[in-house]
Amino acid sequence: MRTRLRRLLLVEWSGLAAAIVIGAGALAAIAPNFLTEFNLYVMLRSLSVPLLVAFAQMITLGVGQMNIAVGAIGGLVAIVFGGMMEVYGVPLGLAVPLALAIGALGGLLNGLLIVRTGINAFIITLATASAFTGINFGITGSIPFYKMPPALSAFGDQHWSAMPYLLVAPLIVAALLGLFFSRMAPGRQLLAFGGNPHAAELSGISRGRVVISAHVLSGLLAAVAAVLAVAQLGSAQPTIGADWLLLSFAAPIIGGAALTGGYISVLGTMFAVFLIGLIQNGMVLAKVDPYWVQFVLGALILAAVGLNRWRAVNSGMAQI
Amino acid sequence: MTDEALSDTPARRRIHFGVVSGQVGLVLIIAGFWTVFSLRAPGFLSSFNLFTVGRALAIDIVIGFAQMVVLATGGMNLSVGAIGVCAVMMAGYLMQTLGLPVPLAIAGALALGGALGWLNGFVITRTGVNSFIITLASANLFSGAMLIVTKAVPLNALPPEVGAFGKARIAGFVSPLLLIAVAICAVLFILYRYSALGRRILAAGANARAAAMSGVPVGRVVTISHALSGVLAAIAGMMVVAHLGAAMPSVGGDDWLLPSFLGPVLGGTLLSGGAVAVVGTMLGALLVTTIRSGLLVLQIGNFWLQLYLGVILLLAVLVDRYRALYAERHGIAR
Repeated sequence: MRTRLRRLLLVEWSGLAAAIVIGAGALAAIAPNFLTEFNLYVMLRSLSVPLLVAFAQMITLGVGQMNIAVGAIGGLVAIVFGGMMEVYGVPLGLAVPLALAIGALGGLLNGLLIVRTGINAFIITLATASAFTGINFGITGSIPFYKMPPALSAFGDQHWSAMPYLLVAPLIVAALLGLFFSRMAPGRQLLAFGGNPHAAELSGISRGRVVISAHVLSGLLAAVAAVLAVAQLGSAQPTIGADWLLLSFAAPIIGGAALTGGYISVLGTMFAVFLIGLIQNGMVLAKVDPYWVQFVLGALILAAVGLNRWRAVNSGMAQI
Repeated sequence: MTDEALSDTPARRRIHFGVVSGQVGLVLIIAGFWTVFSLRAPGFLSSFNLFTVGRALAIDIVIGFAQMVVLATGGMNLSVGAIGVCAVMMAGYLMQTLGLPVPLAIAGALALGGALGWLNGFVITRTGVNSFIITLASANLFSGAMLIVTKAVPLNALPPEVGAFGKARIAGFVSPLLLIAVAICAVLFILYRYSALGRRILAAGANARAAAMSGVPVGRVVTISHALSGVLAAIAGMMVVAHLGAAMPSVGGDDWLLPSFLGPVLGGTLLSGGAVAVVGTMLGALLVTTIRSGLLVLQIGNFWLQLYLGVILLLAVLVDRYRALYAERHGIAR
């Protein structure tokens, strides 16, 4: 019995799944409005952007780096996306691919700088984050673009029963990422490089290509998150992305990603975002002081790190 | 650059540029900005502007030091801003609600800062988990707890002498806060240059294994560094209280993240640990404050400021990188 429990706990997302089930059960018992269609829809809709933000960071964590500029790229993409449509009348069908291209370009810039200079990704993306945010504020003067095409806002609001249209994008991305990291050579190479850069390079994996493609993907996903955020809010706010940093790290790490690189879990990251969303929703329903959210998120990260550590020790592959 | 370098042939001049210390370059850049700003905007050198620049500079310097002492160990502290604001509200609570005398309240706030920093260090050394993730989590625990306890209500009925200290000017344009920052600089310089503890911190930062084998208590040294970082963050918080004349729950936090790295990194502190640039951190902070204030006086859109800061940080690390590579290629030790 004990060993079976232990084996179950060794699966990285088992604890998360249990926490979600218990949490949802408790909420349904305490708060009668939790299981209403509208509440579930609101909760799921609020998870769409965080899911993509978490994936954007997860990819850079996979190669053992970080992307502090996730939120800054998101903010820049959001206002360029909105500005294109409001000021220049670019049709939605053209604005979306352009916006995604800008995000990928931001990631490309990060990747190139990191590879070409050999400087720590933290410092490079801290600097580019400031630069991207500066461009964002410089263009907009902190004034949002309000006139979005009705089709976009409608997409942000529509839903089948409790399932918002918005959630479709992150679910597709999750499926693609799962495939990419488990079945495709470039995805395996990213993780191999993250696990041991030296060994990966000796086996013929190009450092430049791996790092640059990870950052391009990260920028691209941040851009997808930004487009969804604009659709959700119905306006392009310059502040989009400003509060993404903590969540972007919290979800992959709670989901079991190693900060040292080489190990990530798409499913774990998704469960972590769901758990965070559930906690936030529960706090709203229970009318808890919103200030508790930040505190709980911090505690959750610490708990997850502790659990990961325990798991590593118990499975005999303690990390240093 | 030295005078000798200027009179040299272009080829030799390049070599000199390659090895010239980063701090001399920094001083030249700062001098350039001061010249441009004072020519373009006469108000830049007014005693009032010098005073406000000095006061802002003092805060930026100490924030930079709070990050620098942890960078020395090869870690980082993302909770500098969170500890700062906790200290701010603690000081406000002790002064306004409990009515304690100002020095006692400041001591209490610094003790809180040190305790929170110590907690970071304790958890990091005990679990062996990366300082980035621990301090990311603790930053939210600290800020969250502060908001829960204070309900985000500012305390603005502090004793009048607090605000008066922030407005005080020595010789017409020097803020006493700046003198405090310079004094801290001197203390840190002595710590890292001449004391056994400082040398041990640097040894642990450069190579933890080697240091441990030579008898350095690496865990304790890292914990001490984090506690020191907490005290410095609390000092920066006290300076903000003096500046505003109130304890605001909205100061610090994420706003301190970029400045805390800008100063040390521009000044030449290595992210990999083992080396600090105490004077360089001051110069780095001076560069940032100069640009910020100059753009303000010139009324160039405040909104673009972050772009300039980001680009400058990028240029600074690039120049430093190529200087190191150049020196390495030509067999010149830095």
